[in-house]
Amino acid sequence: MSELTTGLPRRPRPKPLRRRHLGVHAVLILGSVVMVGPFFWEVMTSLKTLGETLTVPPTVFPRSPRWSNYGDVFDTLPFGQMFWNSTIQTLGRVLGQLVLCSMAGYAFARFEFRGRSLLFGLFLSVLMVPSQLFLLPQYEIVAGLGWLNSLQALIVPGLFSAFGTFLLRQFFLSLPRELEEAAKLDGANHWQIFTRIMLPLAKPGLIALAVLDVLWSWNDLMWPLVVNNDPSKMPLSVGLASLIGQFSVDTTTLMAGSVLATLPVLLLFVVLQKQFIQGIAFSGSKG
Amino acid sequence: MAGVLTDREQASGTVGATAPAGSSSGSGSRGDTPAPGRRPGRPGRSHQPGRGMSRMRRNDLFWAAVFILPTLLGLVVFYLWPVVRTLLISFTETGPFGGSEFVGLANYRELFGDARLWETMLNTVKFTVVALLGIPVALVIAALLSTEGLRGVRIYRVLYFLPVVTMPAAVGLIWRTLYNGDVGVINALLGLVGIEGTNWLSNPATALYAIAAVGIWLSLGTQIVIFLAAIQGVPKDLYEAAALDGAGRIRQFWSITLPQISPSVFFISVLAVIGALQTFDLIFVMTGPTNPAYPQTETIVAQFYQRGFVENQQGYAAAIALVILVVIVAVTALQFRLQKKWVHYV
Amino acid sequence: MRRTSTLAATAALTPLLVLGLAACGQSTGGATADAQPESGPVTISYGIWDKNQVPAMQKIADEFHAANPNVTVKIQVTPFKQYFTTLQTAAAGGGAPDVFWMNGPNVKLYAANQQLLPLDQTISRAKLDLAKYPEALVDLYTYDGKRYGIPKDFDTIGVWYNKALFDAKKLAYPKDTWTWADFQSAARALTDKTKGVYGAAAPVEDQAGFYDTIPSAGGQVIDAAGTKSGFDSPEALQGIEFWTSLVKDGASPTVQQMTDTSPGDMFKAGKVAMYWNGSWAAVEYSDVPELKDAVNVAPVPAGPKGQVSVIHGLGNVIYAKTKHQDAAQKFVGFLGGERAAQIQADAGAVIPAYEGTQEAWVKSMPQFNLKAYVDEVATAVPYPASKNTKAWTTLQTDLLTKVWNGEVDAATGLKDLATQMNAALAKEK
Repeated sequence: MSELTTGLPRRPRPKPLRRRHLGVHAVLILGSVVMVGPFFWEVMTSLKTLGETLTVPPTVFPRSPRWSNYGDVFDTLPFGQMFWNSTIQTLGRVLGQLVLCSMAGYAFARFEFRGRSLLFGLFLSVLMVPSQLFLLPQYEIVAGLGWLNSLQALIVPGLFSAFGTFLLRQFFLSLPRELEEAAKLDGANHWQIFTRIMLPLAKPGLIALAVLDVLWSWNDLMWPLVVNNDPSKMPLSVGLASLIGQFSVDTTTLMAGSVLATLPVLLLFVVLQKQFIQGIAFSGSKG
Repeated sequence: MAGVLTDREQASGTVGATAPAGSSSGSGSRGDTPAPGRRPGRPGRSHQPGRGMSRMRRNDLFWAAVFILPTLLGLVVFYLWPVVRTLLISFTETGPFGGSEFVGLANYRELFGDARLWETMLNTVKFTVVALLGIPVALVIAALLSTEGLRGVRIYRVLYFLPVVTMPAAVGLIWRTLYNGDVGVINALLGLVGIEGTNWLSNPATALYAIAAVGIWLSLGTQIVIFLAAIQGVPKDLYEAAALDGAGRIRQFWSITLPQISPSVFFISVLAVIGALQTFDLIFVMTGPTNPAYPQTETIVAQFYQRGFVENQQGYAAAIALVILVVIVAVTALQFRLQKKWVHYV
Repeated sequence: MRRTSTLAATAALTPLLVLGLAACGQSTGGATADAQPESGPVTISYGIWDKNQVPAMQKIADEFHAANPNVTVKIQVTPFKQYFTTLQTAAAGGGAPDVFWMNGPNVKLYAANQQLLPLDQTISRAKLDLAKYPEALVDLYTYDGKRYGIPKDFDTIGVWYNKALFDAKKLAYPKDTWTWADFQSAARALTDKTKGVYGAAAPVEDQAGFYDTIPSAGGQVIDAAGTKSGFDSPEALQGIEFWTSLVKDGASPTVQQMTDTSPGDMFKAGKVAMYWNGSWAAVEYSDVPELKDAVNVAPVPAGPKGQVSVIHGLGNVIYAKTKHQDAAQKFVGFLGGERAAQIQADAGAVIPAYEGTQEAWVKSMPQFNLKAYVDEVATAVPYPASKNTKAWTTLQTDLLTKVWNGEVDAATGLKDLATQMNAALAKEK
């Protein structure tokens, strides 16, 4: 990761220079508190009793951690099943988009054919359209297929992405053509060139798309809320949202649920932080 | 920033950085002579390039179809057709359980005559303007993080990025407890310095801004990471030259960094505006129709949801959706026009 | 048949699959009309919204399955907040559950739009005696002379109170003979600003709020025919001011405070001494060890026209487009019987609608004065509803929130509400 911090050499330097960073650190630490503080509070609240959450002034630490709030989440929701649904929804969309978008993106980047720019324009136009325009008709289609309350309802519409196609097309455009030319002279067909030469080269782009898809899929709320009303087919996001505003669910349970629902991606992020951050930065440089 | 630098490196021919990890079989395939293993299994079927334009074109067309058709079909079925369908719905009045009658422009007439539309538009605009204030904050943090020789950058970056990976529904819940007027930690902290807080999320004067602040908090990490990557890409000799001229850090930021990364700033501002114009999740979780501040926080997308899914006026909702489309296209077009004035492509 | 194992195939073959299944989907539309018994085992879905009632519903489903081994009932819980939104979208798409819970505000809408199966055949096959249910509830589920729902349970409203907060102020607990004045003076006396304690919670709440106080004052929310708003009457104003005066006096938290922290949470945490809540709350409070013996319930206080609670009850209905009409009819017949009511009563979640089974419910939580709820039935008024109830309850929330918040004075706000509500009602025709 050191390559991020600066392009300049990072050798030991004289002390005075480092002391100069005190002010910078002060600002950055203060900012970090604002960014991380809410999560700290979330975890603390999830371990309090309802009474403790309503004391004035608020107490920081729970008198004795009330782990049963987490148990309440499991009593309230089929959490394991929802976790599985979220996982399947995320994996399905990510893998599907990686395959489909890389193919389409590559084709737009490399093949010459009549109507290409028109077709690409059509793809781009989908990008400009706010998702509200898709919602009702998508529901009609999924219902027509008899897919309500099914995992494919969560996955299938999310397999196709104009954004992913665009992102990977930009990436393929930035790759040198020499390798493909050489492979062509060697008698390789497009499929072979694509799978054996271009895809490995496109790894950073594919990772970027995968990261964005993971975030989008895991946190997606509106679509699964509309199509899957059976808790055993809901992803976690909907499970959590369904707890909001229910009289019988306490704030403490909601906080415990929030912790549990965010934890998987958070852990994934901690393990793969480099890929996550590079993925986001990459989409920024390409978009 | 490897993700950004790699394609630069690749462009200059140093493919080695990424290829080995990706391809297990063809370690020797880089460069001009493909390894034998790379040869197609059935040479007889291969399509020899360079046998005349038309042949190649047709060949390309075939492969383009193979590569694009699956996505194209999916987009047509799930995205393009729905747009047309929504347009059609907007000319109808839908019964509560499907079944609809054509009503011409009635939905649009009702929509434009509805004071609520303009209120929600105004809320949306306010929301968007506040959301844009996050960009300078992200720029400053990214600039600070780019400080030469700064320690702990990696940790800072992870911390600032944390909200990006969390579920908006969960985030809304967390901030609801923080903003609580009686027992919230924000008012407790303000109380320490003698400021009396308010019911941030239910006070009509503050609710919109309180939610917009959470929106900024959520997206700051993305913006910082993208700006950081862009700042890394600024040629170092520019700074060295400026330093020789006696320019301080702040002047360097204004005269070198900012112009150099202006394409990223533009990109982020387009994203931020499109995102803010469609704000719904946070509004949905943090306020609601029973909130006294709801009229001051309801965005146009929230109104779309209310009409389409609570009050079951699909035709009216479809008309709102098309208005949202027009607004987003117009604002984005405006941004693209304005960019010529301030974005410097190097 | 829709299993996750098809995931890989789905990913690879999506376009074909989509088109192929689209064709399939269209061809399955026809078979709905009559109740032919099906030969093989079938699974029907049962849509409900209350998680607390899942155990009782599951027990009913299991016993039904034991008696009808060919039919398996799968319970689908959708939280109430999304229930009717989802249900309506699902019904429009042809995919609503085979059997589901219905409530008063929605039944006429569903019946009028042919979404519900008329139950005459169900009633005769299961030999159900409609006299066994409260008449108000049977009527609630009758539209155009046809029965569309079998009453499942009913609920009335009571005043829950925190004993410790009364003890601290040395006040007597609420009792049957309380009037509005008793309630309000107690609320003021119980309020203790220094401790952050309020005597009562007066949220913008219909069922456990002004739907009770407006009839207690002699007014009505909507006329019996469901065509005219009653909000512009002096009685309605009285019923609303019962609540707004509590807020004005500081005996209740403000709307803003109750938006930040729900009054239910405040009550459970001992920050609110008296909280109006439905009979459904009993099971929730008895589940919390700290509350079990700390709270109790009394009937609503008597207003100018006496002690009036609103009564509402759920009904079990059959989706008109169910593909398993025979099984659905059998199940709803079972749900309407005494055995199913007994299971509900034992679970204590709700008051069963079936005559004679309420006693078991009252005894299921002996620490609470649950008899108060059952006794209220005698003077209760039906839940206000029309064909498109949602159209004006949305207005109700909007405008009354402004009244509560002091943006509009009550008289003006109510006049406004009545005008807009009448316009909405006129559209229903």
